Amino acid sequence: MAKIPLGCEPVVGSLTPSKKREYRVTNRLQEGKRPIYAVVFNFIDSRYFNAFATAGGNRVDQKDESFYTVSWACNIDGTPFLVAGGLNGIIRVIDTGSEKIYKSFVGHGDSINEIRTQPLKPSLVVSASKDESVRLWNIHTGICILIFAGAGGHRNEVLSVDFHPSDIYRIASCGMDNTVKIWSMKEFWTYVEKSFTWTDLPSKFPTKYVQFPVFIASVHTNYVDCNRWIGDFILSKSVDNELVLWEPKMKEQSPGEGTVDILQKYPVPECDIWFIKFSCDFHYKAAAVGNREGKIYVWEVQSSPPVLIARLSHVQSKSPIRLTAMSFDGSTILCCCEDGTIWRWDVVASS
Amino acid sequence: MSALKTSTSVSGSDPPIGGHQETGLSPKAIVAVIDSLKKQVASDRSLFIKKRMEENTEKVLDVTKNLYKLSMKEEIICGDGGVDLLAKRQKDAIDMHSGIGTSNGDNESSSSQEDGYAPSAILLGSSIAVKNAVRPIKLPEVKKLPPYTTWIFLDRNQRMTEDQSVVGRRRIYYDQNGGEALICSDSEEETVDDEEEKKDFVDFEDYILRTTIKEVGVSDMTLDLLAQCLSRKSCEIKGRYEDLIKNDNALCRVNNGNAEGFVNPYIDKDLDAALDSFDNLFCRRCLVFDCRLHGCSQDLVFSAEKQLPWSCADVEKEPCGPNCHRLVLESEGNAIVSSKQTNFVEKTATASNTPGMQIQKRKQGGKSVRIKSMSCQSESASSSEIKPNNDVTSSVKSASAGRSGGDKRSSKRIAENVLVAKKKRQKKMATSDSDSVAGSGLSLKDLNLRTNSRRENEDISSSQKIKSTSSRKSRRKESLVLDFDKSLQGEADSGASNESESNQPMASSGDTFKKEEFVDENMYKQEIIDNKYWKPFEKALYEKGIQIFGRNSCLIARNLMSGLKSCSEIFIYMHRSEKKILSHDGDGTILADGCLKADGNETADTNHSGNGYLKGRTSLVGSTVHVVASLPVEKPVHVLLMMSKELQESIQRVPLCQESVSKPPMPCFAADRECDPDVCRNCWISCGDGTLGVPSQRGDNYECRNMKLLLKQQQRVLLGRSDVSGWGAFLKNSVGKHEYLGEYTGELISHREADKRGKIYDRENSSFLFNLNDQFVLDAYRKGDKLKFANHSPDPNCYAKVIMVAGDHRVGIFAKERISAGEELFYDYRYEPDRAPAWAKKPEAPGAKREDGAPSNGRAKKHT
Repeated sequence: MAKIPLGCEPVVGSLTPSKKREYRVTNRLQEGKRPIYAVVFNFIDSRYFNAFATAGGNRVDQKDESFYTVSWACNIDGTPFLVAGGLNGIIRVIDTGSEKIYKSFVGHGDSINEIRTQPLKPSLVVSASKDESVRLWNIHTGICILIFAGAGGHRNEVLSVDFHPSDIYRIASCGMDNTVKIWSMKEFWTYVEKSFTWTDLPSKFPTKYVQFPVFIASVHTNYVDCNRWIGDFILSKSVDNELVLWEPKMKEQSPGEGTVDILQKYPVPECDIWFIKFSCDFHYKAAAVGNREGKIYVWEVQSSPPVLIARLSHVQSKSPIRLTAMSFDGSTILCCCEDGTIWRWDVVASS
Repeated sequence: MSALKTSTSVSGSDPPIGGHQETGLSPKAIVAVIDSLKKQVASDRSLFIKKRMEENTEKVLDVTKNLYKLSMKEEIICGDGGVDLLAKRQKDAIDMHSGIGTSNGDNESSSSQEDGYAPSAILLGSSIAVKNAVRPIKLPEVKKLPPYTTWIFLDRNQRMTEDQSVVGRRRIYYDQNGGEALICSDSEEETVDDEEEKKDFVDFEDYILRTTIKEVGVSDMTLDLLAQCLSRKSCEIKGRYEDLIKNDNALCRVNNGNAEGFVNPYIDKDLDAALDSFDNLFCRRCLVFDCRLHGCSQDLVFSAEKQLPWSCADVEKEPCGPNCHRLVLESEGNAIVSSKQTNFVEKTATASNTPGMQIQKRKQGGKSVRIKSMSCQSESASSSEIKPNNDVTSSVKSASAGRSGGDKRSSKRIAENVLVAKKKRQKKMATSDSDSVAGSGLSLKDLNLRTNSRRENEDISSSQKIKSTSSRKSRRKESLVLDFDKSLQGEADSGASNESESNQPMASSGDTFKKEEFVDENMYKQEIIDNKYWKPFEKALYEKGIQIFGRNSCLIARNLMSGLKSCSEIFIYMHRSEKKILSHDGDGTILADGCLKADGNETADTNHSGNGYLKGRTSLVGSTVHVVASLPVEKPVHVLLMMSKELQESIQRVPLCQESVSKPPMPCFAADRECDPDVCRNCWISCGDGTLGVPSQRGDNYECRNMKLLLKQQQRVLLGRSDVSGWGAFLKNSVGKHEYLGEYTGELISHREADKRGKIYDRENSSFLFNLNDQFVLDAYRKGDKLKFANHSPDPNCYAKVIMVAGDHRVGIFAKERISAGEELFYDYRYEPDRAPAWAKKPEAPGAKREDGAPSNGRAKKHT
């Protein structure tokens, strides 16, 4: 990577823990022998803030399925849903109340690596797939509204995708082509609206291709396996033992172009394998990321310079941590591991 | 960059750095200065980041507050009394947890943070309880799709864009089995020539450079030290320093000078510069901008034969807009006509210019076109009968006087008009004079037409009468250009009436020429004024317009000059420039002139006995002749021929102007020329496949094979699950042998690129590469059509053929045998034997799929 010019250096956080908070393991579950790839709290519905879901390959009786991702969503009437996807590319929408499959979406040509819910309209989800596309779905009507792929799309598997928290049109996706792409569906929003009132067969919906992102960022030089909006900034990680917070500076006149201002870096030692994802609490105050050796680093995201809140380690936690989940206020951290275990860490009241 | 805002002094406010030449400081001191600056920059940067972070934090806070409210919505709606959808499972989960909790015993001691290891702690969470507690949800069976990469439909091939290249780009693979191992791509072979990209100086470096020089002055040592500290070469620093000084000076100049208001950036360039982008970006083969097949900057080809100006029948009568020359002229002409009528009806002593009269005239002049044309007709019809009553001169006078209030230009010409009107009479004589000279004959009509066309194309005046006539002769395509000047118009007008009134031979050609000179002079004056307002760009644009649309100011104005010049302005300009050319070319064309004169007059005579229709024409011709006579015409024969040809064509094309003139037959088997559907109907030659000149072996195939590709007459292909493996392409309707099924489209990539991509695709064991020619390989991996899903078979029912279509190689898929509806399509990928993947090597296993088997380096080859 090119040398960062003088005056544009990011602020790098110190790995000395601030001991602001202390966490202790309060539970551990063994879900089976196969890896668990996802764990996620419900941030959509305040009644269920204490509910979480995990996804993996265990106990799936279909041979060819193994879930890689799961996300909370809800129907337009507020029924909480879980949307999960994985190896075989079929998105499953589970009605958590009736414990039945509400819908299954077929369309992706390969595995699904991540599903995220639009917090402002929780019946919209996006999925990132190995088929190099990102797709926007309406889980209420079962329609694939938009496909983000094509001439300006990803050139390899898409590993992660995230909705902008306030700009409803905007998503960011990243993947194995080492880029982060920001897409806008503003011009296609009529189709999103149309999808809510569509009464015909979902397959007859005029699904549109969004071929050109509004911004392409080469922040990393290797797989980018997780990206999240922090306000207007993006926190993303590759396999370089760090999280990177950067600001996309778009040129209004020429879409696709722009510069990246790398603001802060959050070192995470031994985090050099891909498909390790991080999570934030509801208010994006902290981010927790696991590493290859089963340790968790909890960073204060929004302070400058970044502060390491805590480093969590346990002698029995040796397996790579695929994903963490922070509870609403960050007081509980869950993590799921390659060896099929789920760990719970709770904050210890520091008196 | 934007961090500069926070730094204390920014480049803009710095004094120019040129002044300091003196330096008495030691290197150490200079380094200290630089270091302190660097520190300052660094702290500025962190301050800036902090500020940005704080701003963003506030934003995030608002966002999350809002989201929290949203998440509360359900609770408010349902209340706590609502069904707790997760209650059951939650309870199960808690039971389960507590079970583990008890078995765990003390779990506090088991956690550790940081280095506080508790080695004795062991978590005993087991899987026993879990199995009992969780009820699995049955997943309904959904058939999985065969894997594919999202692709974009292409109905025609596209050239690869640069950013899609994989050459020189590092690609990282992971071990499919282990999942973690990272294998860096094959960049070993070619050292990724990271040519030391020239790093731009960022604002901070400039800042340090400036401030240091400001403080310690300029010297080689300073610059060297700066280079050292900024880790750049000293020559770079020097160059930058000079740039900065230059910029400062430029800045000063800009500040002193006044920024000009916004101007259309093109308006000051000449057209060639502006057309440059057109020449570069417009694809002449596909007739689109930014052609994605042939790219930019194609060679320009100018056809040898000149194209006929575009023309359209219906533009004739309708004014193109409020500034249409028709409207302008009509309203002016109308004034004349109406004044005449007024004169006629009221039998006023017309010479007087009473205000009341003026008003009346104006009223009439302002009336709609309908009235106008009516009056025109009546005029043209009646003028011959009625005339005696008024003195022409006076009528013209009053007409122009009436107009003078509103029309700026006309005032100038009133005097002229009067003069002209007087001379007119004399001119008339000239006409009638020649009358006697002209012989009569059967060819008269022809000549008449010729004259007409000549008039039209040369744009020589016409009058109200012409207009009415022309509307009857509405078939004409050539823009009927009406008159060039009011003065002339009035002149022609009165001339016409004069003519029918009396044909007294009085002739003096000298007079005619005098008058014409006079008019020309007048024109020149006007022209000079006009020229000022015509920028070179506009002139060039006008020239183009003439080329494209012919002399149709409406079309030129609408299509090329909108926002620049109005139709009437163009019309006037067109007329002036023409005048200029004509008069520049001088005289010596009297003979032709005379002929024309004679012809016209003969016609007029003949027509005198005709009906109303002819009468209208008569007067038209008559007036035309006058003007023609007044113009020295250059290259008469040439022009005449040309025009008449055009006219003939226009007559032929009476009903439809678009009908193409039949081109000479172009044999498609002539060198390097493939079939053209307009030309090669029933062509026996098999085109473009290397068998030039040899009749097709297939007697039932009359057509050139590229035609269906060109015309996209393809079969409906369906995409479905293959009976063999993965996806397959199926045919909707049955087809016969050798029938064209469709085109295999994709990205056009270079062979080098294809080699690189081939390696990537081999890992996925799926390749959509197709060798097209020496230059290109087709890749349908991300862009293509459904035929890319047709599977390989050693015993296929289709074959692929590279065919030249409109200058490009394209791949057509043809039926090798009769294929019935719904059958799956296969063709032989024709791998080179040494490069074929395992599944393509074994002919015993028909229909082996590319997704199976071992990787290969191969790709489909064009069979030759």
